[in-house]
Amino acid sequence: MEVVIFSWEYPPRIVGYLAEHVRELAVQLVKNKVKACVVTYHDFLTGEYNEADGIKTYRVTNPVKTHIGVLTWVLTLNQEVERAAANIYYNSGRQISLIDVHDWHFIPAAVTLKKGLGLPFVYSVDSLEEHRSHGANTPFNMAIKSIEWLGMYEAGKLIVKSDWMRDEVYRVYKVPLEKILAISPRSAGWIRNVLRVYGDLVGGKAAL
Amino acid sequence: MSHSLAIMMLTWEFPPRIIGGISPHVYYLSRSLARNGLKVYVVTCDFPGAPNYEVVDGVEVFRVDSYKNPSPDFASWVYLMNVNMQKEAATIVRSLNGEVDVFHAHDWLVADAGIGLKHVFRRPLLVTMHSTEIGRRNGIHFDYERMIHETEAWLTYEAWRVICCSDYMVGHVRWAFGLPGDKLVMVPNGVDTDVYTKIDDEDLSGFRLRFALPEEKIVLFVGRLVYEKGVHVLVNAVAKVLAKVNAKFVIVGNGYMKEQLSGLIKGLGLSHKVLFTGFVDDDTLRKLQRCADVSVVPSLFEPFGIVALEAMAAGSPVVVSDTGGLSEIVEHDVDGVKVYPDNLESLAWGITKVLLDKGYADWLRTNALKKVHEKYNWDRISQQTKNVYEKVLGEYSKSAWA
Repeated sequence: MEVVIFSWEYPPRIVGYLAEHVRELAVQLVKNKVKACVVTYHDFLTGEYNEADGIKTYRVTNPVKTHIGVLTWVLTLNQEVERAAANIYYNSGRQISLIDVHDWHFIPAAVTLKKGLGLPFVYSVDSLEEHRSHGANTPFNMAIKSIEWLGMYEAGKLIVKSDWMRDEVYRVYKVPLEKILAISPRSAGWIRNVLRVYGDLVGGKAAL
Repeated sequence: MSHSLAIMMLTWEFPPRIIGGISPHVYYLSRSLARNGLKVYVVTCDFPGAPNYEVVDGVEVFRVDSYKNPSPDFASWVYLMNVNMQKEAATIVRSLNGEVDVFHAHDWLVADAGIGLKHVFRRPLLVTMHSTEIGRRNGIHFDYERMIHETEAWLTYEAWRVICCSDYMVGHVRWAFGLPGDKLVMVPNGVDTDVYTKIDDEDLSGFRLRFALPEEKIVLFVGRLVYEKGVHVLVNAVAKVLAKVNAKFVIVGNGYMKEQLSGLIKGLGLSHKVLFTGFVDDDTLRKLQRCADVSVVPSLFEPFGIVALEAMAAGSPVVVSDTGGLSEIVEHDVDGVKVYPDNLESLAWGITKVLLDKGYADWLRTNALKKVHEKYNWDRISQQTKNVYEKVLGEYSKSAWA
């Protein structure tokens, strides 16, 4: 199995808690004989590509430097994530099994890759705009929510980190509960359960 | 290739959605390419009442839900719309087993979609740059404009070739984005002359009375009422023209300068001589162009100048600013009159000259019509475009992606 992980933060670029979590996921995947590629955003300090501890890391930069906000910044950056993932796909001889997208930022790229190349994806929900924006419903918040919705609709499975979040995703987006799996990264069976979700999704690939 | 050459056009406007010149351009180009044996798919934004899928003159048109995502501003809307456009286009290409040879994007409005599809399917991307932000705004002043400018630069970087509709635009785009000369190619814009020959001139005298008195000459302006179109120069020239000729100025189009311009006219006491019609339907527009004693294109920035070409096809003599694409379309004293841009004395002189000398106006009319038929017909333009596709695919076949 070969998995491509999308995350907008990854060490050494640490914005919140997600960077270390994604790093740990990649480490554990490699330990379990899963090939892991991480596609993330880089600034000028990191460099485009490196391979360490069996994890291949691709860092893309934004082709458009000037932005009016997070939304336009994320959307143009998505194209580079998409490009990097397409290159990984073709260079691997089309061997990629699935994409695991962490939070909303790179959902658009995952959706196009699914539609164009038939690659399924898992949407790993760390947080929701509903909570981050404290119920604000400006067009900006609604735009982000619409991207979250798109991810939930198009994803093969959703992984959340708690039962509470599972209920919240259901409450806010009305995603069928059987599509959402609550897997705590602190639980003993964490990686085994993540791999089970991956396996189910790849097994059901023909149904896409 | 086992199939005929297949092109996917990406455009944010396609009839019946008409915002500017891209819509008719893509329509006529696609139609002519299909007539020349190419398979053409158009992926575009939806429009009330228009079907999500239809075949128009041999062209398969897909309309994408474009207002699904709430957006804080126009640029964010554009990038979000590209998410949906890309998603739908990717679905279509996959359903065609990837049998699309070239993605052809029109302007930055579909930049993300074009670039994404290029990499996902590893097919060449072509772009037609109809305009630029730096040209529209006469420079880059704010982050909002710079973001669009950089998006345009990125699009031209990703494209295999950049098509421009005039030599002026080739030079401008090359300068604006620092492109190598061999990346640019000029293919002119075209005009459909049939829509004007179909008009029955007998009907026109009654139609004309809706806009002007019989003794008034009609001076026609068609365009958005924005700074770059120079409509304010025309409005300021009204009194100078009226000093020599009895005329009615008919201003067709909308824009942010409308209030300001009509206020100015009111202040001059010339409201009875200037008619602001707002946006009019195609039929009315074409009849007006046929009735016009002179059509004026006073633009300060003009990548191509399709209105001048339309007026020439309609048989109306033209007075244009000697700038941008207009300089190339019109040959002074042969098929139109060129005046100094942003100069009301010069503009008033040009208009007066055409209106006062019928023999001269007829001479311009005849020559202009001949030029339109020879140089700006869509059949010829689609052939030139097809040559670009074939050249690019020849180069592509030797690339690592083939």
